[in-house]
Amino acid sequence: MENSSAFDKIMDGLDIETYLVCSDVQEGKRLALQLGKEMNLGDVDIMFEEFDGYGMRVRLRKYIYKPGNAYRWLK
Amino acid sequence: MVTEKYQPKKILCVPLDPVHDVGIKLINAELVKHGHTTELLAPDLPVESIIKKAAAGSYDFILVSRTLGYGIAELLARFVDQLDAAGIRERTKIVIGGKAVTPELAAELGFDKGFDEHASIENITAYIEGRAAAAQSASIQKVKKNIPSGHSYTFHHKEIEALLEQIVDKTLRWSEGKTTPGIRRAHLREEMLHTKDNAKHEQLQSQYHALCDREIVEGNSEHHFPKGVRIVRNDELHDLEQMLTSHTPHNPVTIQHNAGQPLVFKFLGSGCPVMDITHGKICERWGIDGFLIINPSWEARYEGLLEGMLTHENDGTITSLENIRLMKRWLDPATLLTVRAHRGLNTPETTLLAGEAGADLTKIDLVYGSLGAGTDPERLTMDGIESIRIAGKYKMAFDIPGNDELSGVPAWKTLAGLLINVMLGKKLGTHAILKPLFCYGPHIVLNGQMKLNFVDYNAAKIHALKEIVDCPIWPGEPIAFMTQTEDRVQSANATSYHASLAASLGVDAITIASTDEAYSRGPISIASRIDSIRAVTDAFRFMGNADIAPTPAMQTFKNQLIEKITETLRAAAEADHLPDAINKGLLGNAEDGAYPGKFGKGTVTSAGAQ
Repeated sequence: MENSSAFDKIMDGLDIETYLVCSDVQEGKRLALQLGKEMNLGDVDIMFEEFDGYGMRVRLRKYIYKPGNAYRWLK
Repeated sequence: MVTEKYQPKKILCVPLDPVHDVGIKLINAELVKHGHTTELLAPDLPVESIIKKAAAGSYDFILVSRTLGYGIAELLARFVDQLDAAGIRERTKIVIGGKAVTPELAAELGFDKGFDEHASIENITAYIEGRAAAAQSASIQKVKKNIPSGHSYTFHHKEIEALLEQIVDKTLRWSEGKTTPGIRRAHLREEMLHTKDNAKHEQLQSQYHALCDREIVEGNSEHHFPKGVRIVRNDELHDLEQMLTSHTPHNPVTIQHNAGQPLVFKFLGSGCPVMDITHGKICERWGIDGFLIINPSWEARYEGLLEGMLTHENDGTITSLENIRLMKRWLDPATLLTVRAHRGLNTPETTLLAGEAGADLTKIDLVYGSLGAGTDPERLTMDGIESIRIAGKYKMAFDIPGNDELSGVPAWKTLAGLLINVMLGKKLGTHAILKPLFCYGPHIVLNGQMKLNFVDYNAAKIHALKEIVDCPIWPGEPIAFMTQTEDRVQSANATSYHASLAASLGVDAITIASTDEAYSRGPISIASRIDSIRAVTDAFRFMGNADIAPTPAMQTFKNQLIEKITETLRAAAEADHLPDAINKGLLGNAEDGAYPGKFGKGTVTSAGAQ
């Protein structure tokens, strides 16, 4: 158990909230998706984004489990 | 207060923090109550003055409060060193408490003990007195509330009462001698559940399947299920049991700050009963009072229900008897459970299964189910009447969601529809619960009733209903719907503001969304559920017994609503019966964005023609 991955213990989804410095919405979105890949999360979904001229407030979500999956935290 | 067992101590309380000394003041007050001798220093004294004071007195304990921040650890370490150098450590225990303090860090800095900001005063007092802290209860002893109790169901508005009686009497007369496949399946299911004769059961099952769509028969007979559906495995059930019996809620809380504040409900309907239950248990710890089980949209469109403990990869949890029973088994006995029945072709049977599984409530709205959820008005009226009868048999109240307003139906037509359901409940011996929409509806947007604020029109709906009938009110569904965005903070705020208003209006219950409600591309996460519960808990604490005062416009809106509800019911009373009124658009029409549903059209037959 001590060696189990923390990812295994995520009940459903992992959200990342941050502020990305960027020039426009498109760049912000590109950076947000790139961030997911750089964090080894693969494809992440942009739940929320808001560009304010300086950068983008963003919330990303990666589902570790979806309903009906075999949940490793249940073991 | 100090017992013989615990000798009074001499304690120096030191707020090292430049500003924040509230915590140590409270601790000081408690220690005084316990009979200890304390001295509370002024905040932010120079360390040298504190050492001088500590050296002059003969203290058993020095309690230091300080929030840890940049460079503070070094300051504290030097403070302890100076106490050491002054020879104070030999006779005095040094304790620190505050934000970001951990027992490990306290020990590292040379303190005898450290408490973080979540430590209770009882824990600190117990440490001083050298005793074990009084055990915190593992669970709050909740008492299950009966929402209809305390309401007389008396109509104060006599014209509305008379109109509702006309509509309901005509509708009940129309329904006599008729049946539907949904009603017949409910009767067969009831027999199947109570027969002990295997041959009889098989025969009933065969009759049942003759009234079902092919997908349901194949699922029940061959386990060939609709896409994404599978049976919950035994090892999953075993693991669920292990998990739930090996974890207990830590410091459970209640959402309400006082007994007069509304009960708080959440939806459960991830698709997977195992996920629903784990989410449910966590929400219970955070104070949720009840859940609404939401079924998949396809379940409503098939004739017949799947059997067994089933999980589903997409939105909506299958409302089989086994799934509802599983949830009932693991949820706290005080947690209220309502099962959505009114959408689609299985309304009577779903109500029956909810009752058999021990659910507390069911959800039936004949008008919304027809205008906003796609079922043919005649079919749903027949099925709904039977469901209300079944609900009464199992002593379940039924809640009536006015979500047809979300299609664009004006509030007064929706509220008129809710009241028809209330009268049906009265006539059929069951208690209804009014669920007016408590958010920014499309008709309201178009007509500007919420241009100045969100308070007046929402409050007007509640006041109008209260003026018409003494019936429980449970705004939803969920509150703040359409005002919530995908922004987590905005969503939590919107929910908490609406919850505050609902509490101020003295309603019985509310349904709240999660902060990812507006995010439609995936399931609700547990963290998002907690977000909104936490927001409402803080809102209820903030409001306490105070009220939100609407502007004078609320009275105008309320009077208009009552007048237009009356007009709507006058027109509906002219129709032949409720389905006729719905089909004629009297409770919402194409212009409003509401269309009578098609599912089950032409399936109402004479009871003798089976």
